[in-house]
Amino acid sequence: MRKRGGLIATAILLVLLLFVPQIAPRIHLAISVCTEVLLFAMAAMAVNLLIGYTGVLPFGNAAFFGLGAYGAGLTIEYWHAGFLSSIGLGVLASLIGALAIGPFLLRRRGIYFALLMIAFGQVFYFIAYRFTDITGGEDGMNFSRPAVEWLGWQLKDENFYYAMLAFFVVVGIVFYILVRSPFGRSLLAIKENETRARYLGLNTDRFIFIALLISAAIEGLAGACYGLSIMFAYPLMLDWHNSGNIVLMTILGGSGTILGPFLGALIFVIGNDILSTAVPWWQIPLGALFVVCVLGFPKGIVGTFLDLVERRRSGFSYEAREPEFQSTSLPKGETTP
Amino acid sequence: MAHIAPEIFNGLILGAFYAVVAIGLSLIMNLTGTINMAHGSFMTLAGYLAFALVSAGTNYWFALAVAPILTLIVGVLMERTLIRPLYHRDPVYSLLLTFGLSLIAEETYRLIWGDNGVPFSPPVALQNAVSLGFTYFPAYRLFIAGALLVIIIALVFFLQRTRYGLRLRAAVQDHEMIAALGTNTQLLYMINFGLGILIAGVAGVLAAGMLGLNPQSGNALLMPAFVTVIVGGMGSIFGAVAGGMLIGLTISIVTLYIPAASEIAMYILMAVILLVRPRGLFGEEGIFG
Repeated sequence: MRKRGGLIATAILLVLLLFVPQIAPRIHLAISVCTEVLLFAMAAMAVNLLIGYTGVLPFGNAAFFGLGAYGAGLTIEYWHAGFLSSIGLGVLASLIGALAIGPFLLRRRGIYFALLMIAFGQVFYFIAYRFTDITGGEDGMNFSRPAVEWLGWQLKDENFYYAMLAFFVVVGIVFYILVRSPFGRSLLAIKENETRARYLGLNTDRFIFIALLISAAIEGLAGACYGLSIMFAYPLMLDWHNSGNIVLMTILGGSGTILGPFLGALIFVIGNDILSTAVPWWQIPLGALFVVCVLGFPKGIVGTFLDLVERRRSGFSYEAREPEFQSTSLPKGETTP
Repeated sequence: MAHIAPEIFNGLILGAFYAVVAIGLSLIMNLTGTINMAHGSFMTLAGYLAFALVSAGTNYWFALAVAPILTLIVGVLMERTLIRPLYHRDPVYSLLLTFGLSLIAEETYRLIWGDNGVPFSPPVALQNAVSLGFTYFPAYRLFIAGALLVIIIALVFFLQRTRYGLRLRAAVQDHEMIAALGTNTQLLYMINFGLGILIAGVAGVLAAGMLGLNPQSGNALLMPAFVTVIVGGMGSIFGAVAGGMLIGLTISIVTLYIPAASEIAMYILMAVILLVRPRGLFGEEGIFG
C-alpha cells in the first residue's frame, strides 16, 4: 500500500521534472534555480544516507560538496579536463577527502562524531581560503564549462538541466537499490542499535566508513555538477554554514525517506532564491525556518505526512502522539527483516 | 627571541579565549548532548551590548559586568523556550536549532549595528603598554589574561567545591539517577546552560576590545573552540585549558612564519593528537575535573 503510494509519487515527480524547462518560465523560475534544486537534492540524499540510514551526523558534509566543486574547477583550469573527466575528478577529490578524515571520525559516535566532523570538515574551507595562488582565496575561482557537443546538441541551459536530471535519476536509483540491499539493511541495524549490530557480527566501523565514502562520492558529484552549473567555486561552499543548509534540507523533507531530501531541497533552494532577492535580511526567515522545522515537525514533511496517513488508517496511533526522535519514519515491518 | 616573546604571549591569551569558550561548550555538550552552534553569537551579543552601554555613557567596568548578565538572561530564555524540548534527543535537532539561532542573531546584529565592525576600545587606564623587563606588552592583554584566569579558577571551584557543582557532575554521569534522588534536573540544566553563556559573555566583552567586534566576530572563535574541546578531551577543564594554550601558541607561532597555514596548523595538531590519544589530551568523557 505504502510502497505503491511512494511509487506513484515518484512517477508523478519524474514526469514533472521532465517538463520543468517548459513549466519554469511560466512561473518565473530560472532554469538555473531548477538545476540547483536537483543538485542540492543530490547532496541532501548523500546526507540522508548518513543521518537517515546510518545514524551518524555529518555536520561538515559541505567539505565533500566543495571538494567536488573545487576538484572539477581546478582540473578544468589547470589540466583542461573535459566535462565528464572534470566531474569524475571532482568525485575523486571528495573521496580522497573522506578517506583522509574518515579514520578520525570513525573512532567516535554520537555528538562526538558530529563534533569531529564539524572540525575536520572546516580544514578544507581554510585550505581553499588561504591558498590564494591556487584557489583564488576568498574571491573563489571562475572557470569555464568544457564544451560538450553530442549528437548535435550543446550542453547548456535546458540541455544542461537534462544532463543533471539524468545524473540525479541515476543517483536516485542507485540510492534506492542501496538502502534496500543487505548493505543498506545492515546500516539501518547500526542506526537502530550499533552494539547489537556488532554482537551480531557486523564490522560496524567498516560499514559506517563505506557509507561515509558513498555519501562523500554522491556529495562530490553534486558539488562538481554545481560548480560546473555556476562555473564558479568559492570557499563558502565548504563552510559549515553550507553543511547546516544541506542537513536542514534533509531534515525538512524527512530523513530516512527516499523523497524527503528532494522536497526539502526544493523548498529550501526556491525559498532561499525568492527571499534573498526580496529582502536584505533574508537570514532571519531562514534561521526561523530552522527553528520551526526542528520544533514543529522534526520528522520532516514526508515523515509527518506518513504519520497522518497512518493515523487516519488505524484511527489511533501511539507513534503519532509521541514522536520517536531517534528513529525516523520507516515502517516497523521494514526495519526488522 | 625578542620578537617571538610577544607572539608567545599573544598566543597564550588567544589560547585562554579558546579555553574559556571551549569550557562553556563542553559544559553544555556533556550535560545535555547539545552542540551549541550559537555559542559564538552569544559572545558577539555580549560584545555589542557592552558597546551599546559604553556608547550610552556608562563606564567600561559597568558594561563589562552588566553585558554578560543581560546575555545570560537572553540565553536562559532561549534555553527554556527553544532548546529545552530537544535535550537528550538526536543531536541533529539541537544542532540545527542553535545553528538557525546563530543565523538570526548574525542578521539581527547586522541590522542594528551595521555590516562592518564597530570600534570598541578598552578603557583608557588599560591602553598603555607595560614593561615586562625584556619586552613591552599592552596592559589590556595582561588584564584579559588575568580575567580569564580568574574565570577558569572560579569555575573549577564551583564545579569541584560546591554542592551544585557536585550535582552537575553527577548529572553528567547519570541524569536519570540524580533526578530520582530528588534533584531538580531542569533547574540544573538551566544553571548549566546559563553558566556556559555567562562565561561566553564575559569572554565576548573581553574579546571585543582585542579582536574587534563585528556580526561574525564570535563565530570566528567558535571553530578553534571546537578544536580545543577535541584536543583537550571532551569534559575536562584542565584539558580545555591545556588544549587552548597549545592551539593558541601553535596559531600565533605559525602565523609568524607561514601566515597562510595559521588555521591549518591547528587541524594538523588536532589530527596528530587524535592519532596518539583518540580521546584527546585529558579526555574523560563527561567527567569534569
